[in-house]
Amino acid sequence: MNLERLPNEEKLSLCRKYYLGGFAFLPFLWLVNVVWFFKEAFVKPDYTEQMQIKTYVKRSALGLLLWVTVLTTWITIFQRFRAEWGEVGDYLSFTIPLGIP
Amino acid sequence: MNASDSDEDSYNERTALVPSENPAIPSYTPDSDLDPPVDTPSKRSGVSRRAGPVAVDGGGGGGSDQEADADDEELTLKYGAKHVIMLFIPVTLCMVVVVATIKSVGFYTEKTDQQLIYTPFTENTASVGRRLLNSVLNTIIMISVIVVMTIFLVVLYKYRCYKFIHGWLILSSLMLLFWFSFMYLGEVFKTYNLAVDYPTVGVIIWNFGAVGMICIHWKGPLQLQQAYLILISALMALVFIKYLPEWSAWVILGAISVYDLVAVLSPKGPLRMLVETAQERNEPIFPALIYSSAMMWTVGMASPADAQRSGQETDEEAEQSSRGAEPENRQPRSFTEDDLEEDRGVKLGLGDFIFYSVLVGKAAATGGDWNTTLACFVAILIGLCLTLLLLAIFKKALPALPISITFGLVFYFSTDFLVQPFMDNLADHQFYI
Repeated sequence: MNLERLPNEEKLSLCRKYYLGGFAFLPFLWLVNVVWFFKEAFVKPDYTEQMQIKTYVKRSALGLLLWVTVLTTWITIFQRFRAEWGEVGDYLSFTIPLGIP
Repeated sequence: MNASDSDEDSYNERTALVPSENPAIPSYTPDSDLDPPVDTPSKRSGVSRRAGPVAVDGGGGGGSDQEADADDEELTLKYGAKHVIMLFIPVTLCMVVVVATIKSVGFYTEKTDQQLIYTPFTENTASVGRRLLNSVLNTIIMISVIVVMTIFLVVLYKYRCYKFIHGWLILSSLMLLFWFSFMYLGEVFKTYNLAVDYPTVGVIIWNFGAVGMICIHWKGPLQLQQAYLILISALMALVFIKYLPEWSAWVILGAISVYDLVAVLSPKGPLRMLVETAQERNEPIFPALIYSSAMMWTVGMASPADAQRSGQETDEEAEQSSRGAEPENRQPRSFTEDDLEEDRGVKLGLGDFIFYSVLVGKAAATGGDWNTTLACFVAILIGLCLTLLLLAIFKKALPALPISITFGLVFYFSTDFLVQPFMDNLADHQFYI
């Protein structure tokens, strides 16, 4: 899919769909949105739909940042306190490391 | 683990190397008024531009008779060299992923008594003869399953049961993207002894899978789609490496290259019929089956053939939407010459990726050391080069497996049994040559 060749309305529609899709617990989709549409939104010379694309890209970036913060916090907490939580920690664990902690 | 049918069938039609078509412009004569002007400037002007339309297809090729044959040959070669590189990179990446996994994650090389239902005969037999017989029987079963699935798919395609095929492909890619990657992630974490919790894993797999489905079956950035196709080929290859017994794997590789040769080249071969039907109808072949190395764009002309050129999202639905999109995109004759430079690229079936990686992965898993692996890797790339050369000459769909797999097998066995002991002996005796 080459963005260059799409007409502007379609670019906007695609950006919007990616933005909306990201709300389904899909920060990766927001990341793809930001990277893919970055040039379109900020580097290219102005065109009608660009303002809206810019908003979508900015909001996707915001959402992405939020998710990254939440995930990092959770992972840090989990790694630090997993052993101390005993059963709950094991219950939550997908893989449990072997050997002496 | 018993892999479901949906994996098996999907690579049958993947083992073909298809030139990206410039379709259905019947033989070009420069005097004809019917010719879309897009071809005219492309044929008269710049050499590099002609590399795309001319070298790749039969229809455009007819017109180039007009021009000097010397130009034609030069173009064919130009087409070949650039596209060879464009295919080397994904094939190499896929093989690197598979070899890296095999060497680091023990799971995929662990001996297991579990086998796929397609290879019911065990190889833990007492005598060599029995083992050989079992592997041949396994191969026969496997190949028959593949043949049946391919024919089934071609029949479905011929009778336009697109929804069924579409559903089948979606199910198959769903399984690959979610279930196999979940297993893979689990094994990687176990290997590196990391503690990971279910919520994190859930988020990772959900994101990976969902974005993968979107990119492959709908619209997404080209590089991301290519990356996903490479990853699912690698995952599939890893499953094969784990669950195919030793000797059966090698015999299957040999047999499937023969099958590929027959299926693509013989007039009644299922793969050939698939490609031809797709070309007749000017439809791209399904997504999730073909890796396309470049974005094709419809150089907007009135030719109905444009439908086929629209890109690597070769999904039935995407096809409708891209066909729908074309009328708006069409800017007849106002395209500057630069636009015509859009590269058409070459397509390689995903089955080819899978079997190349199986060969190299098996060499890495069971071969002596890195010599064998590297030898197989080089052999496959050489085979790919030759296949692309043939593609540039013959300009029609060609099987990509036979040459590469043959070279790969030859190199594997000769390196393992001849070169390896030779090098070891030399090193033992400190004899440098």
